[in-house]
Amino acid sequence: MANITCSSIVKSYGDYPVIDGLNLDIPDHEFVVFLGPSGCGKSTMLRMIAGLETVTGGRIEIGGTDVTDLPPGDRGVAMVFQSYALYPHMSVADNITFGLRRQGLPKAEIAPRLTQVADMLGLAPFLDRRPKNLSGGQQQRVAMARAMIKTPKVFLFDEPLSNLDAKLREKLRTEIRKMHLQLKTTTIFVTHDQLEAMTIADRIVLMRDGAIEQMGTPDEIFERPASHFVADFIGTPAMNFIDATIEPGHVARSGSIALSLSRDLFPGLRPGQKVELGLRPASMDLVEPGAPNAIAGRVVLVENMGAEGQVITEVDGREISFVTAQFRRVKPGDAVRFALRPDQIHAFDPVSGRSLLGA
Amino acid sequence: MTRNTFVRLTLVPAIALLATLALVSIGGAIWFALSNRTLRSPDYDFVGAYNFLRLLRDSRFFNALEISALWEVITVSGTLGLAVLLSVLIYETVQKPLWRNLICFAFLVPVLLPRVAAAFIWRFMYSPSLGVINYLCGLLGIGPVEFLADPSLALMSVAVVDIWQWGLFFTVIVLKLMETLPRDPIEAAMLDNARRWEIHAYVTLPMLKGPLISLALVKAVESLRSFDLIFVMTGGGPGKATETLDLYAYQMGINMGGRISYASAMSLLLLLVTTIAFTIIWKAGKKWAA
Amino acid sequence: MGRIISATLTRALLALLIVVALGPILWTVLGAFKELRDIVTPVPKLIFDPTLDNFATILRNPTIRDGLLHSAVVVSVSVLIGAVLGIPAAHTLARHARRYGDDVQFFVLSLRFMPPVAIAIPFIVIYLDLGIYDTLFGLILVYLVTTISTVIWLAVPAFDRVPRDIEEAAAMEGCSPLEVFWRFSLPVAAPSLFGAIVFTFVLVWNELLLALTLAAQNATLPVVAASITSLGKEVPWGVINAATVVLVVPPLVFIGLLMGLLNTSVQGGRK
Repeated sequence: MANITCSSIVKSYGDYPVIDGLNLDIPDHEFVVFLGPSGCGKSTMLRMIAGLETVTGGRIEIGGTDVTDLPPGDRGVAMVFQSYALYPHMSVADNITFGLRRQGLPKAEIAPRLTQVADMLGLAPFLDRRPKNLSGGQQQRVAMARAMIKTPKVFLFDEPLSNLDAKLREKLRTEIRKMHLQLKTTTIFVTHDQLEAMTIADRIVLMRDGAIEQMGTPDEIFERPASHFVADFIGTPAMNFIDATIEPGHVARSGSIALSLSRDLFPGLRPGQKVELGLRPASMDLVEPGAPNAIAGRVVLVENMGAEGQVITEVDGREISFVTAQFRRVKPGDAVRFALRPDQIHAFDPVSGRSLLGA
Repeated sequence: MTRNTFVRLTLVPAIALLATLALVSIGGAIWFALSNRTLRSPDYDFVGAYNFLRLLRDSRFFNALEISALWEVITVSGTLGLAVLLSVLIYETVQKPLWRNLICFAFLVPVLLPRVAAAFIWRFMYSPSLGVINYLCGLLGIGPVEFLADPSLALMSVAVVDIWQWGLFFTVIVLKLMETLPRDPIEAAMLDNARRWEIHAYVTLPMLKGPLISLALVKAVESLRSFDLIFVMTGGGPGKATETLDLYAYQMGINMGGRISYASAMSLLLLLVTTIAFTIIWKAGKKWAA
Repeated sequence: MGRIISATLTRALLALLIVVALGPILWTVLGAFKELRDIVTPVPKLIFDPTLDNFATILRNPTIRDGLLHSAVVVSVSVLIGAVLGIPAAHTLARHARRYGDDVQFFVLSLRFMPPVAIAIPFIVIYLDLGIYDTLFGLILVYLVTTISTVIWLAVPAFDRVPRDIEEAAAMEGCSPLEVFWRFSLPVAAPSLFGAIVFTFVLVWNELLLALTLAAQNATLPVVAASITSLGKEVPWGVINAATVVLVVPPLVFIGLLMGLLNTSVQGGRK
């Protein structure tokens, strides 16, 4: 039983609050990712849960116990740092077992646990080495082993993969996910990489300026972004945004573009209302003339991404991009038509940036 | 143990001891400066600002002030000038790490010498009758030169020793700093066809502005501690040609009749001037370097 | 052709620089093994019958022997206390004292601005009044100003370079601040700290003014060496050279360490 409850968390440096009244519930066994741009407060939140930062106001509970004022060692949490934070003056084995030895566990009990985690992470051949003689990926695994061996109630990961190259990052990401499926320990994972968050999380907590912008499964966040900010942050290539005005017949118009919107998704739209449309490049594709909801543009640039290509077009003097597998058919200067289904169009309030779903 | 106990336990003894010693010495200096105490007799009276007023009419004090200022300017500029010149020279001409390290080791030796030892070594070499330098001068048809006995040469001759110790040391530091600079701007300048000296004048040295300022400050502080060197080499002479403030204060307070109060007044003024000067330079330097 | 000439010229210049750096010391070492008649020659002699007389004179001289002993005691005790008090304080300043840390550090640094004479003059009277003038204890006490402030000054950046994450990882495993300091920060920073202690040692070993003013019979080696000039009528250059060599050896032993300190601090300072 190790759910985490944060209620009305406030964190200020001096008079300046960086987090102001944040509430968060993380159920047991869940893998939660704190996602957001740098400076959004995600690392600060993690460090407050870890006990490395004092909490200015509010309560943090882990497994029903109030840990707000407990020192980090008494919270039953283990953390993996971005820099790995291995102890340079100790061997790999000593690094991994330090916490257990410190608690005074008998050697006979430590040894099998060490063998177990070392085998699980493929560290057995390196146990006598010093951390500086390991590669980045191996160091990262040692850091994970050090966290795992304590069998904590909660795992905390602070951007653990950002110092690794792309290939290794992908590999370790999979390993961390597998590890969680096996151990089922409640996990908080901080990253600024939306792709990493999408692939690894049970639930994503998307943060901005010290507050939660949206919380939900990766699918919810991707398919029903709660705001312009979320829609812009998630998904590659980035979403196209177009200012438009609603016309009778549930159609949004902007210059030559006229797109009909779903009445089920946006029942509250009124003619004359200003909206900001969000069109994911990946939801659009080339269409034949006469197809509904089509946009006509002139190709500016074609970016080859292998299986697909991103086509950047000019429409009424602004750029709109879409992704298609048939990108090899078009070249700069061509006139093209591309379209998307009404239920794939997002609409936001141009002033508040909030989604108009259901409104 | 909680964090606060740990902080108190570690910080308090060291800082309390330092503060006590600093306060005792400054408090003592103020107390003595306001009286007419000497080492000879334990009796004394309060004389108010008398010692300070007399200082203002003491031409030897102003001479010492002038020598001290001169000494600061010569040694600080000489040290930094030499260091910049030599480090650029080595950076450009010596590429093999082994040779660079050997030169660095050689250049570190002088600064490690006790001032007293350096003073002896050079006094020996400066000696008009048996010194190597005068022998070399003789080969060139000059001399013998009275390096330490000629009032117009003495201060420079002592300053050479100081610059020998610190200039070579700073050369090593500046060289190490240049080695840590990012290569990109230098390579960009090379692509722009800049000459070697232009690269250093406009790219590398400006990038080292901050560290060079700190080095100048360190040297300025260290130059205040050249009592040892001057004391052994010339004892302030010939006449008063090399008598800096600390030398004069020492002569007054300890050697000649132990006029403690007068010397205290002098050292207080010295303390005041240097603390104010360095605090200003320190803060300004921080701002300028940033 | 021009390139060969300029290459030769720079080589010669560099060789000359090394001679300028090391020559004076080597010359003194040579002088220490010369008899007086080999020193007082119109043409400097490179080849001579070496003698150990000068060193024998020094080691037989009780004043110099005492000076050596006093130096050893005063320097080792003041550096030891300086390290024991200064290193934990530096760790706290680097890690825990956010608000007032800068002011404390500036105070410590400002002690280095203090002209030594401004310490020496008041202390001579205070020491006379307290009856600790000309005692090793008195010397150790004033040297603590130098050792503690220098150790703090050099050790704060050494602890700054210890990755904060390592200390936090240790705290996550339940270590108290004392344990974090003792088992992690200290061993990780140890090489730099060792350099800081060596540097402090050299400073105190070389100090003249305070020892000269605050001690008479119990003076340290630099004071004794500085007074050799007046040993007799004739200047005993050989003996002076030998004394200089004895004075020079301990700091030079640590040159490699100092080089290491320089390398790490230069690189650490420019991250």
